[in-house]
Amino acid sequence: MIRYLLSRLGSALLVMVLASIGIFALIRLVPGDPVSVLAGPDATPESRAAIRAELGLDRPFWSQYLHWLGDLARLDLGPSYKLGGDVGDLIADGALNTVVLTLFALVLASAGAVLTSTVAVVWDKRWLNSLLSALNTAAVAVPTFATALVLVLVFAVRFPVLPAGGTPPGGFFSHPDIAFQYLLLPGLALALPAWAALTRFLTEALRTQLQQPYVTTARALGIPRRRIVLTQALRNALPSSVTVLGIQFGTLLGGAILVEAVFAWPGLGRLIEQGISARDYPVVQVLLLLSVVVFVLTQLASDLVHAWLDPRVRLNGVS
Amino acid sequence: MADIAVAEPLVPVPVGPVPGDPAPARRPGLLHALRHGRGLVGVVLVGAVVLLGLLAPLLAPYGPTEQVKGANLVGPGAGHWLGTDELNRDILSRTLHGIRADLVVVFAAVPVGAVLGVLLGLVTSWWSVTDVVAQRVFDLLLAFPALILGILLTAFLGPGLLTVGIVIVALEIPVFGRLVRTAVRTVREMPFVEASQVVGAGPVWVLRKHVLPNSLEPLTVQLAVSMSVAVFIEGAMSFLGLGVRPPDPSLGSLIKDGVRLLHEAPFFAVGPLAVVVALVLGLLLISQSLSEARRA
Amino acid sequence: MLDLHSTEEVLTIEHLAISFTHPRPAVEDVSVSLRRGEILALVGESGSGKSMTARAVLGLLPPGARATGSIRYDGEEILGLPEADLNRIRGARIAMVFQEPQTALNPVRTIGWQLREALRAHGTTSRKAATERAVELLRAVEIPEPERRLASYPHQLSGGQKQRVVLALALANQPDVLLADEPTTALDVTVQAEILRLLDRIRERTGTAIVLITHNMGVVAEIADRVVVLQAGNVVEEGETRALFAQPREPYTRTLLASVLRLPELDSVVEPTAAPAAAPAAQELPAVEFRGVHVRYGSSRRGRAFPAITDVSLAVASCEVVGLVGESGSGKTTLGRLAAGLVPLAEGQVLLRGEDVLAAPRAERRHLRRGLAFVHQDPEASLDPRYAVGASIREPLDIHRVGTPAERDARVAELLEAVQLPASYAERRPRELSGGQRQRIALARALALEPALLVADEPTSALDVSVQARVLELFRDLQERLGFACLFISHDLAVVHQVADRVAVLRAGQLVESGPVGRVFAQPEADYTRRLLDAVPVPDPARRGGRRVRELAS
Repeated sequence: MIRYLLSRLGSALLVMVLASIGIFALIRLVPGDPVSVLAGPDATPESRAAIRAELGLDRPFWSQYLHWLGDLARLDLGPSYKLGGDVGDLIADGALNTVVLTLFALVLASAGAVLTSTVAVVWDKRWLNSLLSALNTAAVAVPTFATALVLVLVFAVRFPVLPAGGTPPGGFFSHPDIAFQYLLLPGLALALPAWAALTRFLTEALRTQLQQPYVTTARALGIPRRRIVLTQALRNALPSSVTVLGIQFGTLLGGAILVEAVFAWPGLGRLIEQGISARDYPVVQVLLLLSVVVFVLTQLASDLVHAWLDPRVRLNGVS
Repeated sequence: MADIAVAEPLVPVPVGPVPGDPAPARRPGLLHALRHGRGLVGVVLVGAVVLLGLLAPLLAPYGPTEQVKGANLVGPGAGHWLGTDELNRDILSRTLHGIRADLVVVFAAVPVGAVLGVLLGLVTSWWSVTDVVAQRVFDLLLAFPALILGILLTAFLGPGLLTVGIVIVALEIPVFGRLVRTAVRTVREMPFVEASQVVGAGPVWVLRKHVLPNSLEPLTVQLAVSMSVAVFIEGAMSFLGLGVRPPDPSLGSLIKDGVRLLHEAPFFAVGPLAVVVALVLGLLLISQSLSEARRA
Repeated sequence: MLDLHSTEEVLTIEHLAISFTHPRPAVEDVSVSLRRGEILALVGESGSGKSMTARAVLGLLPPGARATGSIRYDGEEILGLPEADLNRIRGARIAMVFQEPQTALNPVRTIGWQLREALRAHGTTSRKAATERAVELLRAVEIPEPERRLASYPHQLSGGQKQRVVLALALANQPDVLLADEPTTALDVTVQAEILRLLDRIRERTGTAIVLITHNMGVVAEIADRVVVLQAGNVVEEGETRALFAQPREPYTRTLLASVLRLPELDSVVEPTAAPAAAPAAQELPAVEFRGVHVRYGSSRRGRAFPAITDVSLAVASCEVVGLVGESGSGKTTLGRLAAGLVPLAEGQVLLRGEDVLAAPRAERRHLRRGLAFVHQDPEASLDPRYAVGASIREPLDIHRVGTPAERDARVAELLEAVQLPASYAERRPRELSGGQRQRIALARALALEPALLVADEPTSALDVSVQARVLELFRDLQERLGFACLFISHDLAVVHQVADRVAVLRAGQLVESGPVGRVFAQPEADYTRRLLDAVPVPDPARRGGRRVRELAS
């Protein structure tokens, strides 16, 4: 188990380092010189050189890269080019909003998926399965930005029962009920594709489990089918579902950018969108790296949970 | 009589399959799945969207960037079925032409990425050293959530349809590379592959004769899934202003304009949205019916 | 012992018929009655409907199956009962044990959890009481250290232990009837012998009536009181075990008993005919020779390698068939795969016709390989499902570009004829053939290049006895006609006795003993070989008593 953990950790680290080099290099190679952006059109060569030196752009690539990593480690992210203020401050402002939104969507998607798929399998009715399958396909077929749009049109414009966007004015923790109202629409829009994908996978996995010989053994012992689904099949289907959840987290990260744009949700997704349109590369660079790190760490975590949930891996280290 | 005796097998063949055994003698091919039920609906949906896109110059009443005098933000009506935008352009015409951008992405970029991924996966997975290297590269590419990779590459390449295409290719290479690798690993352990290796078949023979034919079916299913994802990616990137550059239309950029004008003209986004949903839904239905036919 | 059996019937099946959407019904007309405390064997080949009959009793038929007729437990009709009522009978009155212990237990729950769950289904809700009963049950199925085993997961147990746990689950609620569907088929012979003895003891201790579903006549002779023979969904014959073995009435039963391969009696006199046959061939170079070979699995770099083969030296002369026998984990398959070049050699030498394969240059190696062929155990997987069988047989000829395409096709027809299949079969897909036919095709394909050495890995173990008998006959006939050498791997000692000239016994990767088949099987030198032979159930109920006595004496 420890050996397995170490090897997974090693490859995750390698991927993160390579990704950081890739991001750094690509952003460095971007056409459009930040110096001319900062200095303005009528800057003298001297002032341009001063800015260049200040930004460290006159040093060799590797030195710049290591310097950047060092700054990142000290959480000193430097100034943004265009959006104003310190990159660190900009990120700190948006981070909480995005974390709350994605976690909410993650919980919604996974709890929803477990619920829908077990209901579909336990209560094995033909009409229910057709209905769920149709809803599922619809949820996958409508792009996130479209779902968000439809939700706003229906629940905020046509029937104004929920806020159309923005974050709760009093923060998330002072009035949880109000915060929930603000979270519901963007959270739902963000969670829907992951919810649908997970449900499909889990339903399929549960059905496969129910065809396993151990289920026949349990049925031959007189254990009711519902109990077998809940205590045995679900427990067996869970490890692989956790891996799928880890992969779906990537969809959530990408989706957050779109959902935050539609709901005017002042989070990191909006920040990255603004950063791109303003060509504010220090901001974009850090956010890109952050999302890769979070995604890789989530997958690492889901692998570890998978290993921990499966005694064959946990006790023997065979994957 | 003598002929009958020859044709008669020596071991009596049981009439019909063994009861309780799933396998009927011959399984209908994958194409069969596309001619019935869900698969047929998918083919019709995708076919309709493709035709609309291909025939756009003939069907569209106006040019994609043509400004119609006096028609500013007109609602849907006889003259303009889907209305016009704030620059007096006919949305139906823009939508029809916008489909073409998506068709390029779906039917050019995805296959290119798929072929590159399959080739890379096939070649590298046979030897352990190349396999490790390729897997690390795939890991790296897969470490970026799809849209994040799109943003990164756009930052470097600048926005445009070509960038969207390159992003799709970059996304699909590891997906197909992984899939082929799994197939190679599974098939090469199969007894029939071992049997041909024993009599002297080399890697090229085994890959060409056994691995590739046996992995075509999962690859076809993945191709349909990837195509629907590609429509998403184009939509999302254009939505963020990273895709097709104005004034040229694409489905994603039209939806983006629709969101911008949500309150002034709520009808705006309906047409392009419907096309996107039809295309994605059609591709999804195709992939679902294919994968079901494979398991049957 | 006989007074345990009353004539009271616990389970009565009358005119049971089971049909699917297929044209042929799975069970046509089966009537069986089971008396309290008896062991009844349900015997038949695949497709005879024996498993379906047992599943119908517990209402566990696959979806889409329709069962008609009558099944009465203790006088009460149970066929067609609703699920909730069936659940009161399942496990509590009638329990079932399945063939594959590897998958019959939930892999992510502990043994203790699964036993408690079985008890809970029938009223034992207190955790403490359930745990105590679980320990008792594990003790009853003779698992050492039962308290400790409660916390184990299935993958931590051996196959035999798993089957014991499955038995414990079935016995948890003291059922009157135990349906055992091929309970020992997946196990090694020595483990099989232990499980059979355990079943017998359980019957004696608890008075549970047992329906033993099996294809193995040896197992029947060993343990059953009565036998019901099934064929294609019908009862062919039924009777007391001894009487049925001594005087089968129906022709089908007679063929079935005749196809059963028998081993010579231990310590019988060896006929001296087998030995000289191999002597003249010894002057030629052996087809394959292992010189002190070692094989290790796992990465040796990370220090996790475990030995699969340790220092084995063995030679197969040309035109000679050498049987490799041993239990699972003995390394017999590994040794066969080593000869075929499918596993890397850690130490030692493998010589093909006197030439070291690994030391040979690449081109030479390819040439040496041409003299090799491999027949795999699983007829399902040994042919590429995407090609017609003719193309599969042709493949070796295509690889080596032998002759013109027309000549290759002619050769395919010739090979099909050699394995006694009509030439028209070349057009068929593997899934359109039966298991025996597929194995004939695999044999034809292996012989395409006229190999000097054929490695056959359990080629008949997936086949029914009557089919197996014919395939073995064909094999022996071809071997004598074409004169190839063969390394014949099998767990079935009787099969090896039938086809091999010499035999090598492996255990845990080491060679225990080798010699002419007749001598080794009649007068084994090694204790292990003797134990192995002893564990093989003898298809003769008359010899059951004698064996017991020998067991007690040892």
